[in-house]
Amino acid sequence: MSLLSKIKEVIICLNAGRVTLPYPFAAKPVPERFRGRPIFHPEKCIGCAGCANNCPAREILVFDPCQEVRIIKYIGRRCTYCGRCADVCPEGAITMSGEFENATGDIHDIQQNLEIFMGTCQRCGRCYSGQGPLEGLMMKGYRSDNLDKDAWVYSSQAYLDKEPVVKDIDLELD
Amino acid sequence: MAARDVLNSIKKRFDTIIQRVDVPADNRLYLYVQPEMIKEVCRYVFRDLDARYVISIGMDDRQRSNRFLVAHDFSFDRENVLASIMVQLPASQPRVNCISDVVPAANWAEREMRDLLGIESVGCPNPKRLILPDGWPEGVHPLRKDVPWNYVPSNFDENKEYHFDEAPEGCTVVPFGPFHPTLDEPAHFRLYVEGEIVRGCEYRGFMVHRGIEKLADSVLTYNEIPMLAERICGICGCVHSVAYIQAVEQAAAIKPTPRAEFIRTIMLELERLHSHLLWVGLASHILGFDTLFMQSWRVREPIMWIAEKLTGNRKTYSLCVVGGVRWDITTEMKKELQGVLDTLEKEWIKVANAVKGDRNIKARTKGVGIADKDLVKDAGLVGPLARASGVPIDCRRDLPYAAYDRVDFNVIVEDGCDVWSRLLVRVREVFESIRIIHQCLEKMPEGPIQLKINDELPPDRIGLSSVEAPRGESHHFVVTGENNRPDRWRVRAPTYQNLQGIPAMIKDQQLADMTISLGSIDPCFSCTDRMEIVDIRSGKIQVYSQEELLQLVRQGNDTGTKKKCS
Amino acid sequence: MQLNIAAIILGVFNVALALVLAPLFEGILRKITARIQSRQGPPLLQPYFDLLKLLGKEDIESGHSPRMQRFAALLSLATVLTVAVQVPMGGQAPLGGQSDVILLIYLLTLSGISTLLAALAAGSTYSLVGMSREMMAMMTLEPLLAVAIVIGAVHTSTLRLDQVLNGSVYTSGLFPVAGLIMLGIILFALQAFIGRMPFDTAEAETEIMEGPVMEYSGPKLALFKYARMVKLFVFSALFIALFVPWGHIGFYPLDVIIFLAKVTVLVLLVTLVAATHARYRIDQAIRYYASLFGLALVALVFAVSGF
Repeated sequence: MSLLSKIKEVIICLNAGRVTLPYPFAAKPVPERFRGRPIFHPEKCIGCAGCANNCPAREILVFDPCQEVRIIKYIGRRCTYCGRCADVCPEGAITMSGEFENATGDIHDIQQNLEIFMGTCQRCGRCYSGQGPLEGLMMKGYRSDNLDKDAWVYSSQAYLDKEPVVKDIDLELD
Repeated sequence: MAARDVLNSIKKRFDTIIQRVDVPADNRLYLYVQPEMIKEVCRYVFRDLDARYVISIGMDDRQRSNRFLVAHDFSFDRENVLASIMVQLPASQPRVNCISDVVPAANWAEREMRDLLGIESVGCPNPKRLILPDGWPEGVHPLRKDVPWNYVPSNFDENKEYHFDEAPEGCTVVPFGPFHPTLDEPAHFRLYVEGEIVRGCEYRGFMVHRGIEKLADSVLTYNEIPMLAERICGICGCVHSVAYIQAVEQAAAIKPTPRAEFIRTIMLELERLHSHLLWVGLASHILGFDTLFMQSWRVREPIMWIAEKLTGNRKTYSLCVVGGVRWDITTEMKKELQGVLDTLEKEWIKVANAVKGDRNIKARTKGVGIADKDLVKDAGLVGPLARASGVPIDCRRDLPYAAYDRVDFNVIVEDGCDVWSRLLVRVREVFESIRIIHQCLEKMPEGPIQLKINDELPPDRIGLSSVEAPRGESHHFVVTGENNRPDRWRVRAPTYQNLQGIPAMIKDQQLADMTISLGSIDPCFSCTDRMEIVDIRSGKIQVYSQEELLQLVRQGNDTGTKKKCS
Repeated sequence: MQLNIAAIILGVFNVALALVLAPLFEGILRKITARIQSRQGPPLLQPYFDLLKLLGKEDIESGHSPRMQRFAALLSLATVLTVAVQVPMGGQAPLGGQSDVILLIYLLTLSGISTLLAALAAGSTYSLVGMSREMMAMMTLEPLLAVAIVIGAVHTSTLRLDQVLNGSVYTSGLFPVAGLIMLGIILFALQAFIGRMPFDTAEAETEIMEGPVMEYSGPKLALFKYARMVKLFVFSALFIALFVPWGHIGFYPLDVIIFLAKVTVLVLLVTLVAATHARYRIDQAIRYYASLFGLALVALVFAVSGF
């Protein structure tokens, strides 16, 4: 009977109470696996550019201004927060944070620039593809008594200008 | 050997014209036939063998074999076989016989082939443009390999007009869309109305086309495409990503890990739950019953929260990679998921009982939007639309994929052919989905969730995959290529077929019922319009509408990125 | 004709009451609807802010005949306010013996006609569809109220407002059969008069058709919205005057409070029904009204024969 089902419906509704969340007047915590804005940690990055290779939106750009320096720029405009960059990073230098309130009027708030010093070959002085985990361990001083190995990183004379090496990309000509 | 049986029954009549046969698995069949006989073969398969038409696909294969390829996909539901009947056309003269007169459901697919690839369908009954905007220059076919993906034609004709068909006698024209409060996405239904009764309808869509297939051909790699695929739709994203991945895995003969298959099944069913609950809310909102709208969305919200806990996002799960999935379900998450499902079931039983006894809703939905069995067959309608008309098709049972062959579930079928039956089908499917998820959680084996794939995927293989989206069958066709990217990817969303049934469904019905009939197919226009040409302008609409509407339409000048309701 | 000062002041007070309190009742309706829908809902004073906002917006004149549109907007609010002057709100009917029920029925019809005028002046396809529906609904709906008032008139043998609008449907001397039938009928049709779910085919059909108010924006839309809110208030007052007139104390401010309490109860009833029903299609609605009209005629026969 229609009246009975209407009454049932009203009872369902009133039992539920009020479900409106107080957000934005109270914060809403995000779950652990939430994929918010990716944060790049330059101290862990080895410049392999795996993130740039695997970004579906092509939002991570790589530029080598000289032998020893690699610039990795996260533009973030079309980032889909898929988390592939964090998946493929061998060093765990990218974390998908819980930040979802990313709206801003200035794109520079979201952009992240990493300027990575690449290791050069001690003999020929040229760069080779990024260090593997073993070299990384050695470079971090795991064998601190090995002074020869310590000499690798700092043999270059290159330095970075105060001016940013990669000018801001004209975002319209993407 | 189901595929072989199907092959033999086709061979019985058409042995001489078959050029090549591939049977890569027991449930797939690829047939190459001579181009002149394609119509006969399709008629035989569609009518005599009673197969279900899925989609027609065109492909520009000139770089490799100097040919164009046209594939007509059919599904033999009872034999559990997906078949593709293909013809190869010479590069200089891509003309093929049209099959729309024997298979009415192929109408849009053939027009799309002509618009986007330049493959002429000889004898096509309705050769109007479907996808490309009116001002697009002739002879430029975007899906061909020589047209770059970011091509902007300089000779776009802004003033070209679209000519609608003549209105039937004595009817006024009521324009419905592209801007309308009920529609979440732009679509134009030109209704011919006599008093309050609709006598005819002409549909114009594809107003927001995004170039997804072209991007997949030219720019993206295998593991990047699932991120794009899940954004085809604002509700059924997981379906497209799983269907694509399954097509690639089938083409490259990769079997995903068992645990990954179960996880895919669980996420697919979670998506079905949230989609059906959303639809019940939407349908009641269309009927003006906002209370049921709010309540069903309130019941739905915990599903979004648990999906966020499992995958990191409420809707874009970013779930699939080739060979597995990216997110695992831990024991705590499993317990939480079971708790959410139990609460959902309790609440939904109450809502379902209230809805079933409600004469008010029944009065608005019974006898509305009739789609009988013949229309389902001719127009190739799928999903709850077909099941509410007594046609028991369901890809989960007919063409099993992921872990569906290892779980037990019923296919819900009703006989009413109207909106009320579709409502009942969806309400009852919620309970089936809950059952499936519980079974998956119990039966899920331990093990890795991703395969380690060391070799490159072999090029030149064809993969087909059909997945049961909440709206119907979602069918993907992939041809693998070099450089870690596919050569062709065709997406056929269920709304693509279901929309073709709308003019017949709203004919001779009241004008007020038009929205609920449209809403009952659960239209997902963003699934339907998947391809875009950069720099779209909306077509000029030649109706007796307001000046403002025309001005608004002319001003609409965006470049295609689309948002979707949720 | 003596229009004494008291009558004028009472009339102005009625109009002021309607203007000031109608949005509050609309706010109560929206808040209760939201609570039934398990959500927080807008603040109680939201309709005031809505009207203020609309009054400050740009007035885009986009219809067929803007002058007629302006007239229609003003007419819609003016007619309901004029009805407010006739109806007793806690006290006597302000115009007392100077006004009669025929005027009341005409004014109510005029307020319906203002909607038709609005749609016709706008002239767009959707407005015209909305207008044809509103016309069909009006033709079957207005007679119901007219029959209720006529029954009152038959019982009191006069057309004077202050006598008829005083629970006259029950004053037959014998068992008030006609009165009770009419009470039931008007209760069942109340949603339709006020234009709320499940019978809001006229103005608020944004889901199916935009309806008669489609081409109105800014101040004109504010007038239509205000008219709709005042209609809720005024029809409740009319209903109370016809069917629930008891509870007079004699001390005017207290009477007004009692009257407002009755209106609140009625608004709660309207809200409950509106929140739990889907919208009926126009042909279903008209069939419903027509069957109610048949019953109303039966009640009229009872009234004439003395019940």
